[in-house]
Amino acid sequence: MSVRRRRRRGRFLPYLLLAPALILLVGMVYPFGLGLYYSLNDYWLQFPKRFHFIGLGNYVNLFGKPLFARAVEFTLGYTLVAVTIQVGLGLAVALFLHARVPGRRTMRAMMLMPLMIPPVIAALMWKVMMDSTRAGILNYLLSFIGVDPVNWLGSPHAAIVSVLIIDTWGNLPFVSLILLGGLQALPTEPYEAARVDGAGPAAMLRYITLPLLRPFIILAATFRVMDSLRIFDVIYATTMGGPDDATTNLSIMSYQYAFQWYQMGMAVAETIVLLAMVVIASYVLLRMWNRSAESAAQ
Amino acid sequence: MRLQRRSLNNLLLAMPFAMGGVREASAQGDEALAYYHQAKIDWRQAAGKSLTIAMNKHPFTESLLPLLPAFKALTGISVDYLILPEDQYFTRIAADLSSQQGQFPVLMTGPMRNWEFVSGDWILPLDDFLTDPKLTDPSWYKMEDFYPALIEANRWDGKIGGGVGKGSLYSIPVMEESYILAYRKDIFDRYHIDVPTTYEGMAEAARQVKKNAGIAGIVARGTPSIASLGTGFISGLKSYTNNQWSELNAKMKADFDDPRSVKYTEMWVDMIRESGPPNWADMQWYDAMDAFTAGQAGMIADCDFFAAGYEDPSKSKIAGKVGYAMLPPGSDGKTYSGLWTWALGINKAAKSKEAAWLFVQWATSQHTLLEATVSYRNYNPSRASITKDPRVQKTVGAWGDGSYVKTVEKNLETAQVAWVPEPLRVRLGNIWARALQAIYFRRMSAADALKNASKECDQVFQEVGLSGQ
Amino acid sequence: MRGGSQSRRRRHHVRTVAIAAAAAVLVIWTVLPFVWILLTSLKNPGDIISVPPKFVFKPTVSNYVALVLGNHRGNYASARPDFPLFFLNSVIVSTGAVALSVLASIPAAYALARFTFPLKGALGFIFMSFRFVPFLAFVIPLYLLYQRVGLYNTHIGLILAYQLITLPFTIWMLRSFFMEIPLEIQEAAQIDGCSWLGTLTRVILPLSMPGIAVTVILGFMFCWNAFNYPLMLAGRETFPVTVGAIQFISYEQVLWGQMAAATIVSALPQLVLSLMVQKYIVRGLTMGAVR
Repeated sequence: MSVRRRRRRGRFLPYLLLAPALILLVGMVYPFGLGLYYSLNDYWLQFPKRFHFIGLGNYVNLFGKPLFARAVEFTLGYTLVAVTIQVGLGLAVALFLHARVPGRRTMRAMMLMPLMIPPVIAALMWKVMMDSTRAGILNYLLSFIGVDPVNWLGSPHAAIVSVLIIDTWGNLPFVSLILLGGLQALPTEPYEAARVDGAGPAAMLRYITLPLLRPFIILAATFRVMDSLRIFDVIYATTMGGPDDATTNLSIMSYQYAFQWYQMGMAVAETIVLLAMVVIASYVLLRMWNRSAESAAQ
Repeated sequence: MRLQRRSLNNLLLAMPFAMGGVREASAQGDEALAYYHQAKIDWRQAAGKSLTIAMNKHPFTESLLPLLPAFKALTGISVDYLILPEDQYFTRIAADLSSQQGQFPVLMTGPMRNWEFVSGDWILPLDDFLTDPKLTDPSWYKMEDFYPALIEANRWDGKIGGGVGKGSLYSIPVMEESYILAYRKDIFDRYHIDVPTTYEGMAEAARQVKKNAGIAGIVARGTPSIASLGTGFISGLKSYTNNQWSELNAKMKADFDDPRSVKYTEMWVDMIRESGPPNWADMQWYDAMDAFTAGQAGMIADCDFFAAGYEDPSKSKIAGKVGYAMLPPGSDGKTYSGLWTWALGINKAAKSKEAAWLFVQWATSQHTLLEATVSYRNYNPSRASITKDPRVQKTVGAWGDGSYVKTVEKNLETAQVAWVPEPLRVRLGNIWARALQAIYFRRMSAADALKNASKECDQVFQEVGLSGQ
Repeated sequence: MRGGSQSRRRRHHVRTVAIAAAAAVLVIWTVLPFVWILLTSLKNPGDIISVPPKFVFKPTVSNYVALVLGNHRGNYASARPDFPLFFLNSVIVSTGAVALSVLASIPAAYALARFTFPLKGALGFIFMSFRFVPFLAFVIPLYLLYQRVGLYNTHIGLILAYQLITLPFTIWMLRSFFMEIPLEIQEAAQIDGCSWLGTLTRVILPLSMPGIAVTVILGFMFCWNAFNYPLMLAGRETFPVTVGAIQFISYEQVLWGQMAAATIVSALPQLVLSLMVQKYIVRGLTMGAVR
């Protein structure tokens, strides 16, 4: 009834209400379209006279670059490892904070701190701590447990791990808090029934908690996948893609094309490739989420 | 309440000056003003105009800031400034230049950067200003006081692949750097290590330092950028090949994989892997300089003027312990160091070109540059008269027991712009420096990595349609 | 019997130790960087680079003073203090961006929450999808566009670019808060003769004030955190604190102390605000998907 009444008020009202936001939306779509157009042109800032349409030339060219293959590999590999670790650890932290541990309220509030620090600032803080030549606190602390100085940002493998550590520090709280929220919203009946059946904590985790938590896990993973595919700030502030290009992902490579070499067409083409990956990943993950949310609701 | 807030603001704004800045500068201003008035030009011909200058973070920049009020008093031109660290600086400059907005009429550039800017038709030749009697008084400005080699380095005729030292002058040098070997004399003496005269010897010296003194034998820049190649590395390569090799051959094809270049690169990278700091690949120039200044390395092959930092007892742990020598020569017995000058240039889109030139002329005049060197350690001077100034002589003469002055003087006899003129040098440098990292981390052999880099470089040149004449 | 209770007690003891250890690891992991940066910000340059690192030292506020007043060398004021300007820029741009977004989002979110119309799902999805587009796809064309139209390095330009961060967020957050208001209340108002505008201003907005406040604060924080857009679209005159913090790499040394002090100062508003909206942060980060 109310719906019908609202309809009478005018079919255009909702669009009118949306108008200011739609104008801003056009302001966003326009540069995006412009970028798409640039990606089909030979466009060097330094040689403006060369600007001309080359169709998919930039994409073809890009796929032939050896560094591009490595960047794709790192982008995907990093996302896989980072999300697995962050969701795994996040689940552990959430379970820990959900248990009746003394001081969990304080710890929960504390978990918000990394979340609210600009990632680039967090990266700078860690960079200071990861100093391998001067007075890095991390190496100093590790020396007490007999670990030799780690060359945090100076060798390819360590640099990948370092980026992973910094990224995880900043985003673990996000995953933990989502999952903690999920745990707190779980119904109690299945647990009571299981307790009556004499199930141990491990079995309850395996057969009750995890299946019920599934939509939350997928949601947290979705957000983390999107952000890991596009990670930029942390790498920019620490390794800038090095050493030996080991931490060069598609964002960093595109940034280099655009702002170091002023090869704008190539740079946008590369972000379009990245966008395609994000779209595919989000499509798959959001479908999984919908399905699991529906089955959980039943 | 409102009043209070304003007075607090005023206080905050005034603080830096209240601490002595303005008073000093203006006291000096009176005396200096008389000097500038000796020039037979009308300093006030662009009065009322304003300029924004873009500057790289550098001692020279620091020296200019307190003098800006004096420039305003002299010319009636008010100057605002933007200062950025080097990599951001060039990004920002390119943005302004390419959009032709003329936001920064005066900018800091230098020989190799001019090649990019001239190719884009973004900066002005300065010869017309220099010969215009209305704008320049040659007998006062004394162009001949600049070291001729430095002026030549800032000339280019616009021909890709050649023509440095010919054609128009695009910028006026405010300092000079060439590349030498600085070593820890105390350590070398204590362990009887010889100052190297070959590149094999350099690797051996590095090994000895590391073995005996327990610190890195040599420290060098390693980040994948042109900046890591352009100092010690390329100077050594030029010397090792007797100046018979260039990164681009006559057909503008990359020649990194020339056998001599491969051999030298192998030696260099092996030396650093074996005796260098563990985080070489992550080292910017300031990391390398800091490490040496903090006493963490036995040698550094880099900018000569870093000595100003090494020998500054307030910051350095090694002041007075450093010896200076030219980089080892090749088989012909000569060292061919690279050369760079920070220099001031004028944006083609500048709204008031006269005001921009007056500023450049004032900033590169004898008196201003002398102040920069004496009070702000802006080394090495680009004008001979400043080098000869007794205060400068006294300071520099003490470095390395006089070995600094002697080394730099000798070095400059054969120093030259090490690069082949073309506008894609930054890109080329990135490709090349990344090859060095691939070798360092043993992902590829030197021959393969340099061959791939050459191929990649040729491809980029082809993309943009660049080739020799 | 006695043995059993003893082993139970021992097991209990082990459990307590394990929990304490886990809690300690979690706390150290989370807090160590803050503590270390705070300490670094209170050290003089000599203490910062000392090997081994110093935990006990004579604290100094000189890094904070330098942030506000600039550096001094000799008798000259050698560097203009940039940080207060960066801080001000962050405040201006974040406030402007959130204000613009919220004003545009209130009617939009109302429409998405309370009306049915064709394209509703599609429009909602399009707004949401901007949250996931790689920023470079916007920032490169914006950089070129801004150069041409004079928005490069301006507050307005940044505020417009920040809409990519804030607008999808504010629309979805407000939508989720509006949807929480029971339909009955709204219908009661309509029966009383309220127009859609009256319903919005007299019923929906007052009831969702807490939600709007949360949205504003979180949106402000996301803008404050922004780094990518200003890195490429701003210049020194409009740099916010995030880009400003990496400016402490200077010609002669990395100013670790000042960088640390800048980090602390720029994180402070964030930390205070985040405590205020603690309960809603997860909801904000998932754009209303998790309540």
